[in-house]
Amino acid sequence: MSVSRRTLAAAAFVALVLPLSACGSGGDDGGSGDASGKVEGDITFQTWNLRANFKSYFDGVIADFEKQYPGTHVKWIDQPAEGYADKISADAAGGTLPDVVNVSPDLVAPLAKAGLALDLDKAAAKYRKEYLPGAWASHRIPGMTGTYAFPWYLNTGPLFYNKSLFKKAGLDPDSPPKTYDDLFADALTMAHKSDGKVATLANVPTIEDFGRYGVELMNKEGTAFTFNDAKGVQLLSKYKELYDAKALDPQALTATPESSGRKFLTEAVAMNPGSALDLDNFKKQAPNLYKNIGITDQITSTGHVNMYVMGVMVNSRTKRTPAAVAFAHYVTDAEHQMSFAKKVAIFPSTAGSLEDPYFTKEDGTDETRVRIAAAKSLKNAVNYTPVLFSDQMKTALRNEVAKALQGKESPKAALDNAVKACNTLLQQQG
Amino acid sequence: MATSTVTRVRRQLPSSPWLFAAPGLLITGVFILYPFVSTVVSAFTDRRTLVPGKFVGLANFRELLHDDMFWIGLRNSTLYIVCVVPALVVLPLLLALLVQKNIPGITFFRSAFYTPVVASIVVVGLIWVWLLDERGLINSLLESVGVGRVGFLSDQWLLLFSAMAVTVWKGLGYYMIIYLAALANVPRELHEAAAVDGAGAVRRFRTVTVPAVRSTMVLVGALSSVAAFKVFSEVYLMAGPSGGPAGEDTTLVMLVQRTGTGLTGRVGYASAISLVVFVVTVALMLLVLRADRREAS
Repeated sequence: MSVSRRTLAAAAFVALVLPLSACGSGGDDGGSGDASGKVEGDITFQTWNLRANFKSYFDGVIADFEKQYPGTHVKWIDQPAEGYADKISADAAGGTLPDVVNVSPDLVAPLAKAGLALDLDKAAAKYRKEYLPGAWASHRIPGMTGTYAFPWYLNTGPLFYNKSLFKKAGLDPDSPPKTYDDLFADALTMAHKSDGKVATLANVPTIEDFGRYGVELMNKEGTAFTFNDAKGVQLLSKYKELYDAKALDPQALTATPESSGRKFLTEAVAMNPGSALDLDNFKKQAPNLYKNIGITDQITSTGHVNMYVMGVMVNSRTKRTPAAVAFAHYVTDAEHQMSFAKKVAIFPSTAGSLEDPYFTKEDGTDETRVRIAAAKSLKNAVNYTPVLFSDQMKTALRNEVAKALQGKESPKAALDNAVKACNTLLQQQG
Repeated sequence: MATSTVTRVRRQLPSSPWLFAAPGLLITGVFILYPFVSTVVSAFTDRRTLVPGKFVGLANFRELLHDDMFWIGLRNSTLYIVCVVPALVVLPLLLALLVQKNIPGITFFRSAFYTPVVASIVVVGLIWVWLLDERGLINSLLESVGVGRVGFLSDQWLLLFSAMAVTVWKGLGYYMIIYLAALANVPRELHEAAAVDGAGAVRRFRTVTVPAVRSTMVLVGALSSVAAFKVFSEVYLMAGPSGGPAGEDTTLVMLVQRTGTGLTGRVGYASAISLVVFVVTVALMLLVLRADRREAS
């Protein structure tokens, strides 16, 4: 029973190549989009870096759900923040995407386009009125009908500033900039007075900055980017002025959120966006900065700050659609969002929750002050990040902005190139 | 007796060699051959992370020719070889000659030079970022001696050369150990004979040491050039995910990562870049081996 060399080679080749034909095909073998059946069965729920700090909270939510719906079992898995999109990509491509997944709008867009996210306008329309209209709309995808995730928590980070550096530059520490025009004026003063040693900002403008400056980011149909208009060019030209005057940190072109946070901690820059959690960090790592910390709203020239939305998506291929939809709703309903908000500095996306005294009543602490200010600004906040703006597009914009700041291209040419690159990527997304 | 036993076993179980090799073959097949074949196939498709691709022929390769970022990546990866490989061939040899001597306390220096090799590249990268920061230790020292602050992490060329310096610093100890093993095989008599003939230290290095470790130098050259062409971590950590100012410090492997990962990753296009990296790497190895063979003959 000898095996010839040729037979063996052929078998090895077939074994290697055969799986390729199935690679990425993702056959439609999932369950139905009907959520009206009995809530029962085993489902998996994936969160985004929440186990370390909120294990007991989620254990409680899951236990309560299983008690309310006997016959259900929720397996909770948590993924680290780093590489979360890659993990979802691998699961989605491999057909192992969990039944209920914690996502952001930019993550849900490609999943919805690939037919992997359940349309909640069809499967869970009855819950729609429980959420803020803007939050519900944040998981709609241009060019598609439907809503592809339950809105979960919202956030709008405050902007921290160093009062001491403001004072040294002759600026009023109690009157931080509110609009981009204020910011540009103060930043140039700061750079001039410190002889270029203290920058006001540590980051180049992002797509959200263009949005808050009042630039039209996409056309109405959501089929093309438009941030290379006159207003966009004006914003980038102003940033170029800041960069030349060292009012924008010289390392801003390669900055990451971590590196700019470090610059703020070491008092090399005067302003930095953050969250209420950062206050503790300042208190421990930079007591001198903490004594002089100022907290203000995000800079905006539109009157609206940027809102970050987190959502909970249901896998359209789940075999347990009723249980998955019920659990996704359970996690994001008003009661659970409120109890989660009391554990961490996030804000509920459910209608009326922001009127709770927890978000309106001062108690004299810094944490409450930040929370109330953020809740107030959230009421008319806008999610400026286009859901179709992928990581590759962010890099394309960032690189073109860098070229303009370095003077290698005019702001107009840089934005034209960025829009062209982003539109090409958009077309490739299909 | 032993031969007849082997023959008997072979006759009874003709596939036994394959069974013994099966675990290794399986691992090689699953983790090396399959991904390789998959990459080659993908390179000729427009496959994306969540969308199965269709055959597009050489379209990805044609697109590469017009992609500025590809040429930037190729330039930087090539520059990495040109600058890093000579340093990693020569400096570890000199270091090995220094620590080869059996003098008191030399073990400490051998260990110290080897420490960067075992340190995590992420930790090493972060430490160097802190050192080279606009307000870091090195810039403070430069300012105190009147040189002024240098934009190691903001200038595209300084950033690339800083990353190269970290690669060389981290690799020194590894190649030093390889050279130490080679130097241990150089007969002492050759050095003694050369010394008797009046050769000084430099002459002995040139005429005795270098010819004796030439094949090791070729090995180090081949290993370091392949590693240099595939550089990722150092540049990623120091230049950031976007690859330095305006992406000017992007290397080819960084471009593969940036293009092909994430939910909207262009797997087909990234595979085409990977294939180019593979071809260049193989070509490099062949060049080095051919140069060695020519020298030897």
